[in-house]
Parts: sequence; structure tokens; C-alpha cells
Amino acid sequence: MSFDREVIQITLLSLQVSGIATTASLLLGLPFGTWLALGDFRGRSFILSIINTGMALPPVVVGLVVAMSLWRSGPLGDLRLIYTPWAIVLAQTIIAAPVVTGLTAAALESLDPRLQQQLLGLGASRIQMILHLWREARLPLLAALMAGFGSVISEVGASMMVGGNIRGQTRVLTTAIVLETSKGEFERALALSALLLILTYLINLALTWIQQRGVKR
Amino acid sequence: MKKFALLFLLLLASCSEAVPENAVILVSTTSTQDSGLLDVLLPAFTLQTGYQVNLIATGSGQALKIAEQGNADIVLLHSPQAELKFMQEGFGLERRPVMHNDFVIVGPSMDPASIRAQPTALAAFEEIFASASTFVSRGDESGTHVKELSLWDQADLDPAGKDWYLETGQGQGATLSIASEKQGYALTDRGTFLAYRSNVDLVILFEGDPILLNVYHVITVNPEKWPHVNLMGAQAFADFVTSSEGQQIIREYGVEEYGQPLFIPFVGSESP
Amino acid sequence: MIQIRDLLIRRGKIDALRVDSLDIRRGETLAVVGPNGAGKSTLLLALAHLIKPARGMITFHNTSLGEWDDVKYRRMIAFVFQDPLLMDLSVRENIGLGLKFRGLEGQEIMTRVNKWAKTMGLASLLNRRAGQLSGGEAQRVSLARAFVLGPELLLMDEPFSAVDPPTRAQLLKDLSRLLSRDHRTTVFVTHNLLEAAQMGDRVAVVIGGELKQVGTPRQIKSRPSDASVRAFLRELPY
Repeated sequence: MSFDREVIQITLLSLQVSGIATTASLLLGLPFGTWLALGDFRGRSFILSIINTGMALPPVVVGLVVAMSLWRSGPLGDLRLIYTPWAIVLAQTIIAAPVVTGLTAAALESLDPRLQQQLLGLGASRIQMILHLWREARLPLLAALMAGFGSVISEVGASMMVGGNIRGQTRVLTTAIVLETSKGEFERALALSALLLILTYLINLALTWIQQRGVKR
Repeated sequence: MKKFALLFLLLLASCSEAVPENAVILVSTTSTQDSGLLDVLLPAFTLQTGYQVNLIATGSGQALKIAEQGNADIVLLHSPQAELKFMQEGFGLERRPVMHNDFVIVGPSMDPASIRAQPTALAAFEEIFASASTFVSRGDESGTHVKELSLWDQADLDPAGKDWYLETGQGQGATLSIASEKQGYALTDRGTFLAYRSNVDLVILFEGDPILLNVYHVITVNPEKWPHVNLMGAQAFADFVTSSEGQQIIREYGVEEYGQPLFIPFVGSESP
Repeated sequence: MIQIRDLLIRRGKIDALRVDSLDIRRGETLAVVGPNGAGKSTLLLALAHLIKPARGMITFHNTSLGEWDDVKYRRMIAFVFQDPLLMDLSVRENIGLGLKFRGLEGQEIMTRVNKWAKTMGLASLLNRRAGQLSGGEAQRVSLARAFVLGPELLLMDEPFSAVDPPTRAQLLKDLSRLLSRDHRTTVFVTHNLLEAAQMGDRVAVVIGGELKQVGTPRQIKSRPSDASVRAFLRELPY
């Protein structure tokens, strides 16, 4: 396979894996973060502190724990996920979910607390209220999404450990950069790095455009 | 606030100490590091000479590049072709053989390609190819990888792109883990395998063919290109590993733990 | 229309509000007055069923609030807070918010919004974004948002205390006119006795988390029920 075709394949895989992981973390983190922000129950602060710690989880530690779980000798070995792209998706979801959850909770908590009651007082159902609060907090919520995506598209430790950097199967941009560097192929490594940066920039550009739409200054 | 600033400055100051005069920067491969030999050899060197060793372990390709850019004083490698090119281009001052070990072919104990019974390494590779058995390659242009590629080449086979041929682009330890999980074959140096044996579900299936010899050399970086290299420290290291004491350490390493030595010290013959 | 009996609301460990008996008649404006922190807002929240009582009962059209479906009940009322609490939308979209929740059609929403915008003097501001309004304009939007729903019960929590006095006087006048014109049942909370007397057909005095007295402004003034009510009356120029 020529280098160019391989680069396209690696790039597509990176986008797929990180895209799915980010989406999964959004599906998990948005409702959970909303529940934490709006709910009032014992242990709420405790859970929030766990989530905030989770935001700073070293990806390489997540990689290690997930790898050990997915090994044949590990508890989830029968799933045969180790060294497959789904293993990377799993690890990256675990990395991004606390980020999205924590930032969602912060986004909603930054709203006026009486907004919830005002919306209900106008006859909103719970779902209508939540949807409107999400809309009201869309700036910080989109920032949460970008943070979640950023945390996984750029990580290498977990991807390496659970994916194995197998050519054609689990090699993503970050692990490819590590490989080229270890071979001394610095120019290729830089080219891949530039590609990764441009990609990340374009995606964030799109998300920022959505975020800023309709914001009049 | 002032206390904070003071603390911060102290922290900065402690980070900025330059590499001390008595430090030698050694660059070697991850497989050499993984074998654990350096954990014994380097402290012994420091004890005898007082030189501290800063070890950088990477793939062979990057190791030579690091030396080419003057970021190392001495190189310990097992990639003869690349080393000769390094010498030819004038980056190395002196190249001396240190030790050798051999490569072995490891794989699942049930040996689907029946390579145990094969007479030569090349025949083993042929069987693996013919049976399309999973083979896990380093894929990182390391010494082991180069050796592996030359074996395929000599057997007149090209596994690139085949779906049973996995290239990890990682170090020997990680590659063995993957081979173990996938229950596939791999080429590895004996030393690393013995060190990792208890962590992986693989056995040595083929060994002994002279073609599988793996020779280590130490090269001092040429100060003409990079005047700031620690030539004295580098030469002290080269002297030590080829001295009777250093060679003794090499001879004995691994015997107690694995029942056999991982490396054979070089005893004064021609460098291959 | 509304009956409160033997009500006790708890906030955490504290008894926030106690009401032995209170009736709210259809079409009347009941002004709830008392010092800050007395529990007046708590009464409104309880009437909106946004907080549940620890004890006692509130009935609406002879059915206990506990038996009403929360969302269905709240779609029969409207709540106006002290601050406008507008969403980051246009004035038009803000006014129509409650109608949108009730699932009305776009055309219907537009008609009703336009009508009430005109009534509240907001017709020229319909396309303005909420963040660009003055305090008084914002509060009028908040009122329009409530009125457009045609609620059976209107709950207002000190709606003009955050607005400057001249605007406030005008808003009070406009509100008073609208309420009496439509005979809208309203519970209007304020800490200002003058305002209460001005707006309310009847006045309910809440002090220290307890309903002390209910009656017309004149009745309260001439015959305060106990020492705390008397003290409260004395505090203000009357």
C-alpha cells in the first residue's frame, strides 16, 4: 500500500473511532450531566467530585485498565475485543464521558436556577424544560462536546495499549506518529502531525460555527 | 502570593540543571532494555567509573537518527546494515562487537503450521506463509524487524498486505503481547522472550539455525561532527562492556533467573 | 376556586410556611404581603405545585393538587417571577413560549402573540432579542408571556420590585387595568403594603412563615389581628 493510501485509511479510522466514541460519550454524558445539574439528592456533590476527577483521568491509565480487562486472561476476554478498533472506541468513550458529563453539569448549573421553575411555571413538561435549558446553555454545551472530542482525537496512550497499532486494522493518526518517530522518520511524523492538527481544527471550526450561530454581539 | 512565586522559581531552577560532566548518553533499543541486561550492566559501569548513564531506548531507526544529530554519546545496537551505513557516513568513530544472541520463532503451543519439525528457519517461514497462519511483525524498522524482513526475502516470499500478517509498529514486549492474544507466530530475540515468557501464552517453536544470529555492537559517536559529545565517557563505556568484567556480567545475565544466559559475550573474533 | 387547608411546607428541616385556612375566590386579586423571607414566595410555589407540602391540602376546582397531573395543572396557570427570566430568544418567541409548550399551532401562536404584544406596548420590539431589552421592557415581555396563555390562575412573585419606580408605577397601573378587565384570578406577592392595597381586592398578611390575617385592605388596617401584624403596618408610611 502506498503511503498516501495508507494515510487516508489511517485518517478515516481515526475519525471513525473518535467520532463514535465522542457520540457515545455525548449520549451518556449529556443526560447524566443534566441529571446531576438539575437533580437534588443526597450524594450529588460526591458524584460530581468523582466526575470532576474523571475529567483528569490519565488516558494511559484508562488504556491499561481496559487492556487488562479485555485480555484473554481478563474478565472480558471472551468478548475478543482486544486489539480491535472497538477496543479503542471503548477506551476513548471512557476517557471522554467524564469530560462531557462534568462540563454539561457545569453548563447547566451556570444557568439561573429559577429558569427551571419558570419554564415549569409556564406549563413545560419535564422534557420540554430540559430541551429548552439545553438550548439556553448551548454555548457551553457545544464547548463540552468539543472538549470531549479533543480529549480523544489527540490521545495516544490508550489507543496504543488497547488497539495495538496494527497496520491496516488499529493504526490511528496518533499511534502512527509515534511509530514514524521511533523509526526516525521525522518528516513523515511531522506530516501526520500536521494532518491531525488540520483535521482537529476543521472539526472544531464547524462546531464553533454552530455554537456561535445566532449569537448577536 | 509571594511565597507561591518563590516556590515556582525554585521549581524552575531545579529543572534547568544541565547534563553533568560525568554523564554519558547511551541510546539503545527497546528490546535491549526489555531484556533487563542494562539494569545490571549500567549500574556496574557507574560503580566502576563514576559515569552516570542516561539511557534512551527507542527503535533502531530513531536510535541512529538521535546519534546522527549528536544527541547521544554512544550507541548500542543490533542492526548491522544500518550500523555500517552510519559508520560509512562518518557519524561513528569506532565500532566494536559486544555480544550476540539469537532470534527465535515463537508461537502458540499447538503450532498450526508445524514449524517445530522444520529443518531451517526459512522452511519455517515458508510453512507459516503457506498455511496463512497469523504472524505478528514488529513493523517498526527495528533490528528485529529488519532481520525478519530479510528472512522473508531470502525465502522469496512477500507477506505484506496479507490479512494474517499483522504489523504492530511497536516494541518487542508489546508485539509479543499481541502475538499472545492473537495466538500467532512472531520472530523475537531470545533475551526479550525469556524476560516476557511468564506474561505471554507462547513457546519457542524454532531455534538454532545460524541464520538467526543477532549481533550487538557499540559505536562511539564521532566528535568531529559533534564536538560536545562526551567522548571520554563514551570510550569508557565501550571499554567497560568489552572488558573482562563487562563480558562476565553479560555471560552470567539471566542464568539464575531463566536457567540460561540471554546473551553470549563476544570473545575476540571478527565482527560479522 | 382554590382552597388551602392545614398547609405545612418544609424547606429542609425548617417549617417555611404554615397556612391554617385560605380561600381564593374566582376573579379576585389576592395580594400576599409580608416582610422579606416571610414565606410568601413559598406560598406561590406551593400553589403552582412546584413544591409539595409536608402536610395539608390545596384544592383547585375541588380536586386536590396531588390528584391533578402536574403538567396538566400547570398548563392552566401562569407564573411570573421577580426577574423576567427570559430565554435567549426574540421577544416574539419568548412571549409564545408557553403556547409552544401547550402544543398550539404556529398560526394560532402568532395571532395571540401579536395581540398581547400590542396590549403591552411591545409591538415594535417583537424581533428584538431578549438580551437587548431594558428592565421595564423585559418585565412587560414576562407579563405578556403569562397573559397570552389566558390562565385560570395567575401567580406573580413581586413582579415589579426589580424595576425603577417610574416604570413600576406605570406597570402597576397597566396590570391593574388588565386584571380587572378580564376578572382574572390572581395571587400577587409583594413586600410593599401600598402596592398590596392598590392591587388587591383582598390582602393576606404572611409574617414569619405563618398566615396571620386575610381581609380587605381597610379591614387589615383598622383591625390588625395580632402584634406582629400591627408592627408590620407601623413600619411603612401609610
